[in-house]
Amino acid sequence: MVDAARQPLIEVKTFTEVEKVEGYVGNFVVTLREKAKYVRADRCNGCGACTKACPVEIPNYFEMNLAPRKAAYIPMSQAVPLIYNIDMDACIHCYKCVEACGALEAIDFSMEDKLVEQEIGAIVVATGFSHFDPTPMTEYGYGRFPNVITAMEMERLNNSAGPTNGALIRPSDGKSPKQIAIINCVGSRDKRYNPSCSNFCCMYAIKNALLLKQMHPDTEISIYYIDIRTPSKGYEEFYDRARESGIRFIQGRPSEITEDPDTHQLFISSEDITLGKVIEREYDMVMLNQAAIPQPDQNHMSSVLNIAQSPGGWFMEYHPKLRPIDSPTDGIFFAGACQGPKDIPASVAQGSAAASRASRILHSDSWQIEPTVAVVWPDRCVSAKGQACGICARACPYGAIDYTKGLAAEVITAKCHGCGACVGECPHDSITQLHYTDAQVLAQIRTLLAVEPEKKILAFRCQWCSYGGADLAGTSHFEYSANERGLRVMCSARMDADLIYDAYRLGAGAILYSGCHPQDCHYITGQVVGAKRAARLEKIFERMQMSPGRFRVEWISAAEGDKYARVINEMQASLDAIPEDALKAEIERLRPEMAKKLTKLNEIPGVAQASVQVDFIVDEMIGKEKVA
Amino acid sequence: MSEDPITKSHAADFPQDEPRIGVYVCHCGSNIAGVIPPEEVVDFAGKLPGVVRSIDTMYACADSGQRLIKEDIAKYGLNRVVVSACSVRMHEPTFRGCVAEAGLNPFLMEMANIREQCTWAHGHDRAGALEKAKDLTAAAVAKASFLTPLNMIKVPVTKRAMVIGGGVAGINAALDLAEQNIPVTLVEKEPTIGGVMAQLNKTFPTMDCSI
Ligand SMILES: Cc1cc2nc3c(=O)[nH]c(=O)nc-3n(C[C@H](O)[C@H](O)[C@H](O)COP(=O)(O)OP(=O)(O)OC[C@H]3O[C@@H](n4cnc5c(N)ncnc54)[C@H](O)[C@@H]3O)c2cc1C
Ligand code: SF4
Ligand code: SF4
Ligand code: SF4
Repeated sequence: MVDAARQPLIEVKTFTEVEKVEGYVGNFVVTLREKAKYVRADRCNGCGACTKACPVEIPNYFEMNLAPRKAAYIPMSQAVPLIYNIDMDACIHCYKCVEACGALEAIDFSMEDKLVEQEIGAIVVATGFSHFDPTPMTEYGYGRFPNVITAMEMERLNNSAGPTNGALIRPSDGKSPKQIAIINCVGSRDKRYNPSCSNFCCMYAIKNALLLKQMHPDTEISIYYIDIRTPSKGYEEFYDRARESGIRFIQGRPSEITEDPDTHQLFISSEDITLGKVIEREYDMVMLNQAAIPQPDQNHMSSVLNIAQSPGGWFMEYHPKLRPIDSPTDGIFFAGACQGPKDIPASVAQGSAAASRASRILHSDSWQIEPTVAVVWPDRCVSAKGQACGICARACPYGAIDYTKGLAAEVITAKCHGCGACVGECPHDSITQLHYTDAQVLAQIRTLLAVEPEKKILAFRCQWCSYGGADLAGTSHFEYSANERGLRVMCSARMDADLIYDAYRLGAGAILYSGCHPQDCHYITGQVVGAKRAARLEKIFERMQMSPGRFRVEWISAAEGDKYARVINEMQASLDAIPEDALKAEIERLRPEMAKKLTKLNEIPGVAQASVQVDFIVDEMIGKEKVA
Repeated sequence: MSEDPITKSHAADFPQDEPRIGVYVCHCGSNIAGVIPPEEVVDFAGKLPGVVRSIDTMYACADSGQRLIKEDIAKYGLNRVVVSACSVRMHEPTFRGCVAEAGLNPFLMEMANIREQCTWAHGHDRAGALEKAKDLTAAAVAKASFLTPLNMIKVPVTKRAMVIGGGVAGINAALDLAEQNIPVTLVEKEPTIGGVMAQLNKTFPTMDCSI
C-alpha cells in the first residue's frame, strides 16, 4: 500500500469515483468525481488532532461497524494516503476540529466535489467484491443472536489492530469463547442466493481456525462444510495441518441455529454425512462464512465502462480460457475479484497480468483498430438533395455522424465503433458498413436458404453476445435443431429490416433476431435501436398474419448457451406445429408482400452484381445445371 | 486518426477481381471429423463457383495447417480464403494473421464455424450436421467472393493508465505499470486504498500480516 503512495508515477486519488468513460483504446477520456473531503490534502499532515477534538461518534465501516469512528476521521490508522476526512452527513458543525487543526488550516468547509477529466490510454478495472449479508437467512439468526458473527467481523475481532486489540470476545457478554463453530458456504452454493462457489472461504475458514487455535489452544473449533476445496499449491497441506491440530471438520450444511435467550449459547443442528445422522451441538460463538458477491454498484460500473456481466453479476472477460484478463472492449482489462471471487495470490497475479496486457498498448506509439466502420454513399444520401433526414445521426450511439441538411451525412471514422445502427436505420440505403455490406450479408442469407428454405431457422446474431451464446451452447454440448443456420453481424442494430424481408421472400421457415441484453450491449444503445426495429417488425408480421413462432426476438448473452439451445428448439417445435402444406402456402402468400418491401434492394451498390454470382453458387448447391 | 484512403472511398465498392478462393476444412482432431466426414464438405465446396482449391486439414490452426494455407496462396494464386473450422472468437485473429503473412489482406479471410455451432451442437444428428456444415461453408464462400481489402485504422496512444479500485489487485497492477515507466492514476472510492485485504487479519497461505 505505502509503495503505491511512494511511487512518483502513481497518482493516488482516493474518495474519487468514475463518472464517465468516453473514447476508445489508446484514447479514453475519463471523467472523475473527486469527492470533497473537507480537508485539504496539501495541508493535512495526518496528526489526527481533528479526530481527537470531534465529539461525534458513528459506526466505522472499516471495522465492520464493530467500533466507532468520529465525523472527522480516517477509516484506519494506516490509511494511505494519510489525509483526514470530514463526514458531512455526520458532522454537527461545531468546528472543534478547525480549532484543533489550528495554524495548519487544513480543514476547509467550503470544499466541493470536483470533476476532472483525464486522457487515458488503457484502463485496468480492479473494483473487487462485496460480502453477502446473511440477515435474510433467518435460520442462522444473524442480527438476532449476538454471538453469531460474520467472517469479516471475525477478521476484525481477531486482529491486533482491530476494535478489541485482537482479544476474541463474545459480543453478548465479553467472555472469551471456548467452543466455536465456523459455517462454510453461507449464501454460496445455495440456489436461493448465489449458486456459485465463493472460492476462498474454505481456506479462510481453515486459516481462522488455525489462528484461533494458536492463540487459544484450549478452544475447540468445528468447521461445517459441504466440500473442502483446496486446489492451489500448498493448500491441501494447510488443510492437513488443521486436521492434525485437532480442528473438527463436520460434513453437512447446518439447517438451523437456535439460541438460549438467557445464556446466548448457540445450538447448531446439522446433518453429519460421515455419521449418516442429524446432530446437534452447543457453541459459545458461531462464525458465518458469507458469500463473496459483486459490488453493489457493479451494474452501474458496467454501464459506465460499457462492459458486460456474467450471470452471477461479475464482469465478463473476452474469453474465459484464452483471454481471461481482457474485457470485450479493447483497452480495458480486469484484475482481481471484480471478475469473479479470487484469493490474494490470484488477485496479485491477475494484477500483474492486467498491467502487462495494458502495457502492450501503452508502450506502442499507435494502436490498430478494426476498420469495420460505416461509410456513406454521398450520392445516395437524401440530405445532399436538400431533404431533411438525419435518421442515421440520431441512431448512432457515439455521435459519430455529422449531419447538416443540404450536405451528405458523413461518418467520422475516429468516432465510429462499427455497430451498424446507422446502416440498419437509413431508410434510403445510403450507408453501408465495411465487411458487413448488404451485398456480403445478402450473399450469406441466400446461400444459407438455398436448399429447402422452409425447413430452416435463420438466426441473426450479434458478434458479442448471441454469437457467443451459440458458441457456448456448442461448447457445453447443449444440442439443438441442426436446421438452424447462423449469421453474424456486429450488433442487433445492423439487422436491417431489408435483410429480414429478403430472407422471408426466399422462403425462410423461421427467423431468430437476437442480440445482447440491453445492459450488455457493446455499443451503448445499439441494442435499443435493434430492439425498436424488431418490435416494429413483429407488428408488421402480425398484420401479415404470419404464423406465430416464425419470427422470434430474443436477447441472449454470451453466458446463456442453454438459452440459445432452448430458443432454437422451441422455434423448431413451432415450425413443426405448422402443417407442411399450410407453411408452404403461407410462404407463397407472403412472398409478394415481402418483395414489395424490397423494390429498391437492387439499387444498393453491389447488390445486383453480387446476386448474379450468388445465383451461380445457389444453383450449384441445389444441383441445377449451370446456365453460364 | 489517419483516414486511410482504402478505408474511406473504395472499400465499400464492389470487388473488381475474379474470386480465386481456397477452402480449408478442419478436422479439429475428432472434434469435427468425429461427427461429419470433412472430405464431403471439401468435395462440396470444391464445386462452388469461385473456389479453385478445397482441401481438409487435421488442425487448420496448427503450424502445418497454416503453412498449407500460406503455400497455397502462392501456388494457386488465391485471393480469398475460407476456413471452415471453429469459432471466430477463437481463431479469427489467427487466420487473419496467417493470410497476412502470405501477403493477402487479412480481411479477405472468412471463417465458417462448423465446430462450436455445428458438430458440437448436433453430435446426435450427423446427417443434419453435415448439411449444415456444407451450408455454412457455402455462405462463407459467398461472402468471401465479395470481400474487399481493408486496412486497420491506426490510432495514437495516450501514455497514461488508469487503475480503478485500490485493492491488492489494483495496487499491484498500478505498481507494475509505474515500474515500466508508465504514469498511472489509481482511483479508489473509499478514503484509503487497501480494499478487503487491509481489513484482514493474517492471511493464508503464508499467515503473515496483510498490510
Ligand atoms: C473473510 C475473508 C478472509 C479472507 N482471507 C484471505 C486470506 O487469508 N488469504 C487470501 O489470499 N485471501 C483472503 N481473502 C480474499 C481476499 O480478500 C481477496 O482475494 C482480495 O481482497 C481481492 O482483492 P481485490 O483487489 O480484487 O478486491 P478488493 O479487496 O475488494 O478491493 C477492491 C477495491 O476497489 C475499490 N472500489 C470498488 N468499486 C470501486 C469503484 N467503482 N471506483 C473506485 N474504487 C472502487 C474498493 O473500495 C476496494 O478498495 C479473504 C476474504 C474474506 C472475505
Ligand atoms: S465540525 Fe464536524 S467534524 Fe469537526 S469536530 Fe465538529 S462534528 Fe467533528
Ligand atoms: S439516414 Fe441515410 S439518407 Fe438520411 S441523412 Fe443519414 S445517410 Fe443520409
Ligand atoms: S451508428 Fe454505429 S456504425 Fe454508424 S456511425 Fe455510429 S458508431 Fe458507426
